[in-house]
Amino acid sequence: MAAELVVAATDLAMIQAQQAGMKAIGAGLAVGLTGIGTGVAEMGIGAAAVGAIAENKDFFGLGLLFTVIPETIVIFGLVVGLLLLFL
Amino acid sequence: MLKPRQMSHLFITGSKNQMEPVIQELYRQNVFHIEEFVEQTMEGYEGVKIGTPLPGASEAASKLIMIRSIENTFGVKLEDVVPQKMVPVQQLRETIDTKLSAIVSEVEQIQAKKSTCEEAVRDLEQKINELKPFAAVPIPLEMYSGYQNIAVFTGRISKNPDLTVPNETYFSHAKEGNFIAVFAPAEHSEKVQLGLLQANFVAVPAPKGEGLPQDLLNLYTGQIAAFKKEVALIQERLEAMKKEQIEFLAASEELMSADIDKAEAPLRFAMTSEAFLAEGWVPADRVDVLSDALVKVTGGKILVTVLPIDFEHDSVPVEYNNPSFSKPSQVLMDVYSRPTYTEVDPTLMVSIVFPLFFGMIVGDVGYGLIFLAMSLGLRNYLKGEAGEQLLTVLRNASISSIFFGIIYSEFLGFALLRWKPVLYSRHLMTEAGGHGPNIPELMILSIWIGILHITLGRLLGMYNHAKQDHGHHRTLAVMANFGWLAVMWGILLAIWSSVVIPLMPNLTGLPVVVSVLNVGNIIGGVLILVGIILIARESILEVIELPTIVSHVLSYARLVAVGLSGVAIAMVVNYMSIEMFISPALENFTIMSIVMILVGLGIFLFGHTLNIALTLLGGGLHSIRLHYVEFFTKFYKGGGKKYIPFGMKRRFTED
Repeated sequence: MAAELVVAATDLAMIQAQQAGMKAIGAGLAVGLTGIGTGVAEMGIGAAAVGAIAENKDFFGLGLLFTVIPETIVIFGLVVGLLLLFL
Repeated sequence: MLKPRQMSHLFITGSKNQMEPVIQELYRQNVFHIEEFVEQTMEGYEGVKIGTPLPGASEAASKLIMIRSIENTFGVKLEDVVPQKMVPVQQLRETIDTKLSAIVSEVEQIQAKKSTCEEAVRDLEQKINELKPFAAVPIPLEMYSGYQNIAVFTGRISKNPDLTVPNETYFSHAKEGNFIAVFAPAEHSEKVQLGLLQANFVAVPAPKGEGLPQDLLNLYTGQIAAFKKEVALIQERLEAMKKEQIEFLAASEELMSADIDKAEAPLRFAMTSEAFLAEGWVPADRVDVLSDALVKVTGGKILVTVLPIDFEHDSVPVEYNNPSFSKPSQVLMDVYSRPTYTEVDPTLMVSIVFPLFFGMIVGDVGYGLIFLAMSLGLRNYLKGEAGEQLLTVLRNASISSIFFGIIYSEFLGFALLRWKPVLYSRHLMTEAGGHGPNIPELMILSIWIGILHITLGRLLGMYNHAKQDHGHHRTLAVMANFGWLAVMWGILLAIWSSVVIPLMPNLTGLPVVVSVLNVGNIIGGVLILVGIILIARESILEVIELPTIVSHVLSYARLVAVGLSGVAIAMVVNYMSIEMFISPALENFTIMSIVMILVGLGIFLFGHTLNIALTLLGGGLHSIRLHYVEFFTKFYKGGGKKYIPFGMKRRFTED
């Protein structure tokens, strides 16, 4: 009986540790994958924006603006990651 | 404030002979934005043509070219010249011809001398290169040629060849290639050639001249040094001349540019056979001054009319009208787009909110102080109006960072000593007695900021549409903006009535109406529905944009998220340098400890430098992006024409 309790307790500790680990993995995936998504999205915009700026310098502000629009995706990832770790 | 400067549409008409004094006066006043005349074939425009330039334009232009070429020789630009004292125009006009031609001829002479010297140096260097291989052989140069029965071979070779015929050979071994000089009877020359070719012989002809090569080399080197000294002297003379004449040149350039501008002004006017017509814009408060001055210089022989502004067709030039506090933020507005004449100019809001956002993201006393030092220190390097404005924006943002640093209690990622964070903490590592980061609270706070910022944007959108649009479209546009607001607040109401969220109103206790839906849910739902209908009435396609309501509000979470990533980097750097290297080294001090402390300091410096760059980029870009994307898209169109008055800010000349 007592032995079973000890086993149960260690199991519980293990499960909790695993859950914490899973959370950390989830947070990492959230930031990493959204980062990739942002990168892919910014790739095309950035290239086009640099081309446009080379043609006309006045486009700089708008080009920068367009380029950072997909940044929102990674911010959401970061928010989800932070909430996973700290909430 | 919140509106561009009031402009008046001015129409100046007079007879042709009054044109010159009018142009002079307009240029002096520096307030008249010329609306360029375009030739038209419409009825009523017969006989109205683009004007012809005043005499003297080409002369001024040729002088300007001379001045610029001299400035080019001196390597100066007008913008970099610091004005010492103003030169009276009259005096300058009298002296400019003689003085300018004197300078030109002197500079040309000096330049010619300089280029002769430089050419001589090049010639000598060429000779030295030719001579160098022969320096190893102690034979005078004249001995290499002039024989009847002896063939001479000189050149580079890989090894000392084995020649089977009688000969006299000088071989010198050198790093850049062995050199050989072979003297052999002429009848054996073919055999010698064969033997040499086997040793990869490359012929180098002996230069003409007399005397030992080494002596010649010494002579030439001496001559080069002399020429170089002369060039240096010439350079010094040019420098002295530059110092002496720079004021005159700058003043002349300014005067000539002004002359050209004035002489070419009629090209932007309309003209008939007897009269000229100038159309343009003047700030409303300057109209009286300008028209009085024009009447005075022409003795009343001029007609100045203020035309009503036709907002449909006229594109009114836009001059900012901001309190001095928010003037620097104009640079952020110009990067996006200058406001149009009729819409709200949000510069004032940007100038207040941008530093706050930046401070919220950075929120560190140490980094704030570094940015402050940067904004003050870079002032000497970043010249020009835009650069200075940008630095002032950075200064304001850094002060706000210091303020938020005190609130968050952060200094380079450390907690401030004996100072608890006010309200909420961003310290990721829980220290003894302190509490961990209040991330959920901070997130919700940033969402609140987003809700308020976007609501403000939509309200401004309603105002802009009410002011700019007409008739049925106006009602639709205003109501659509209201619809967006209704949907946003409806969603919020519905959420508040369903779940309890810290720092937000708790409406879950409202009386239940149907099954699980309470009054809040119902009102929220109705608001959403009404909002969607209002949006769809303006344009049905806009409905697919509805998810942006949520994404734009949540986007403000970056105020916390980007900041926290910065805090995390700073804390990791501190942990790596202090906990992993410096503290263990100090605990048990040995010789190795010094190395460890140095490594720790290196990590500290490198890490924080990187983080400063990232924070500056992240803080600046994300703050301005929240304005450009989330805020401006709700109301701001931009695309206004810049107000460029005819005239110039004189720096070097005065009347």
